[in-house]
Amino acid sequence: MNEVRGRLVRCFSVVFPQLSADQIPTASVQTVQEWDSLAAVTLVAVLQEEFAVEIDFGDLPQLESFDAVLRYLGSRKVSGNGHG
Amino acid sequence: MLGLVAWLRDLVKLIDALEELKKPLAEAAPCFRAALACGFTPLHFETFLRAQLTQRLPRKRVRLDTGLFGDLRGNLERLHKAPLEVLVVIIEWQDLDLRLGIRTLGGWRTTDLQDIVNSTAEALRLLHDSIIEISGFLPVCVSIPTLPLPPLFMTSPQQASSYELQLRELIASFSSTISTQAKVRVVNSQLLNELSTPHDRFDIKSEVQTGFPYKLSHASSLAELVADLIAPSSPKKGIITDLDDTMWAGILGEVGLEGISWSLDQGTHLHGVYQQFLESLASAGILIAVASKNELELVNRAFERSDLRLSKDNIYPLEVHWSRKSESVRRILQVWNLGADDVIFLDDSPMEASEVKDAFPEMECLVFPKSDYEAFWVLLKDLRRAFGKRSVNEEDLIRTRSIREAAALRGVEISSGSPDDFLRSAAASVRVELASGGQDTRAFELVNKTNQFNLNGRRWTQAAWSSYFIDPAAFLMTVAYEDKYGPLGKISAVLGRVDGKTVKIDSWVMSCRAFSRRIEHQTLKQIFEKFRAEEIVFEYLPTPRNAPLREFLMEMLGAEPQPGGSLSFAQFSSRSFEIFQRVEEAVNE
Repeated sequence: MNEVRGRLVRCFSVVFPQLSADQIPTASVQTVQEWDSLAAVTLVAVLQEEFAVEIDFGDLPQLESFDAVLRYLGSRKVSGNGHG
Repeated sequence: MLGLVAWLRDLVKLIDALEELKKPLAEAAPCFRAALACGFTPLHFETFLRAQLTQRLPRKRVRLDTGLFGDLRGNLERLHKAPLEVLVVIIEWQDLDLRLGIRTLGGWRTTDLQDIVNSTAEALRLLHDSIIEISGFLPVCVSIPTLPLPPLFMTSPQQASSYELQLRELIASFSSTISTQAKVRVVNSQLLNELSTPHDRFDIKSEVQTGFPYKLSHASSLAELVADLIAPSSPKKGIITDLDDTMWAGILGEVGLEGISWSLDQGTHLHGVYQQFLESLASAGILIAVASKNELELVNRAFERSDLRLSKDNIYPLEVHWSRKSESVRRILQVWNLGADDVIFLDDSPMEASEVKDAFPEMECLVFPKSDYEAFWVLLKDLRRAFGKRSVNEEDLIRTRSIREAAALRGVEISSGSPDDFLRSAAASVRVELASGGQDTRAFELVNKTNQFNLNGRRWTQAAWSSYFIDPAAFLMTVAYEDKYGPLGKISAVLGRVDGKTVKIDSWVMSCRAFSRRIEHQTLKQIFEKFRAEEIVFEYLPTPRNAPLREFLMEMLGAEPQPGGSLSFAQFSSRSFEIFQRVEEAVNE
């Protein structure tokens, strides 16, 4: 799971380049001003590509923080090696 | 094979493209402003394209304007009004008729099909007119539909519907017509097919949910090709080739004149194809030289064989002896006046290729794959990519001849003793053209590729070039040269501004093929005379490669040139040598 977490940090760092490494683990729709619908679509595309998972846009409401995304990936049983 | 420069394929993934865009850039970096006109949500395609352009233009801040969803033509009309370097137009089927997409339910009845064809024809006509108009002042890169047509035709998938064929015919006609415009570049569908599998491009879920129709892999490939059209790498200028087991099959010294071959019958046809390819390169102004360990007399006789596809006239120089290949290459580069990175070396021997590579690390040194058909096919495609140019101009057609004549001329100059005697006997003439606009594509090309006789090394973008001539005081002067040894074509360009009795020169270049003829002296003389100038101010800057220009200015000024330094008419008259060229009547634009 640590490897998934590390790769998720990278995903967040490219989609939200204004966040520092410290801010990423606590990032959420509420705390990140730039987390708009366009950023959400980009984040989903990056996650799908990076973790080779199919994410339905209907799941977007569940993916509203770094922790929530990490749990979601865990529930989808993404592997540490993934696609990347 | 030692390897040609490969495609930049390291921005294939979206995460890598986003990473590229995160890299910091100096605040003062100049902006490269482009616009992307498409009918879909640009989303990840925009990201890939910006990343590709950022990678290709590392010292520029890339700005990519986009438009509104579902309005390709409106976007095209709105976006081109900004001061852009280039406009990118991505056309998909639904931009031509919404019924060719899946986001609207306009009807796929048999009775709708002819109407779809008709409205597509009309949409393409309007797009054609807009693109032609815009390309009059701005480079336009166009991608024709890359996605599959939806299953709206009544025929089974195995049978092409006549409506589908009509649609494809309309696209083919549209793209071939716009591609004839000097500033229009159309994405090559065949190459896109190699990079992006046609049946794996359409992302129906993304199209329905977000309005972005491309799978990421397709968006990445298309962005890469578009970026290559916008900011291509500099094409190579010459190829140095071996003869035995490369130009032909067999060792000439062993099998003799009749033993070498390049035919289907003898299983050596690839060498014939290679000759044909070299002939094609030569016809586009690519320089071809031979470096071969052989007997010169025997080689000369081999080139007399009437079935050889490549004429000896296409080759210069011919380095045939038993010395090291790197020595031959050194001499060829000297004659061509080119750098090692401008040239490709090709030999069937890996050892020879390595020996040359060691001596010239910047040179692409390739091994001719004489018995590997697939590798040979890849080689031809790689060579075409390396030498690809946007168009072939008049100067390209005479390049080999003028280099051959320049070398001969150097020999005559040495033997005649006095440069004045030699230049007087050359019966030279120059044609000086003065223009107040920047329509001259040859001048634009010259300014952007000349290194040695270059006032300051400044490269001009299309937008900066066009803007320059908004100033009514601005002018473009070009010089074409010809003497009894042959024409050199248009070899010099000056961009300047007139302010009373002063002419300020912002750019000045002259092809290295034109050195030693006092064309630079003639150019200054023409500037003084045509503008009745008393002083010329040079926006000179030293560059790593413009020593020839610096030395000329030192000769004129009697001192090290400085940025903004000036030359008075009196100084020029007292220092200039006698000029023997006849000046043809100038043409004003």
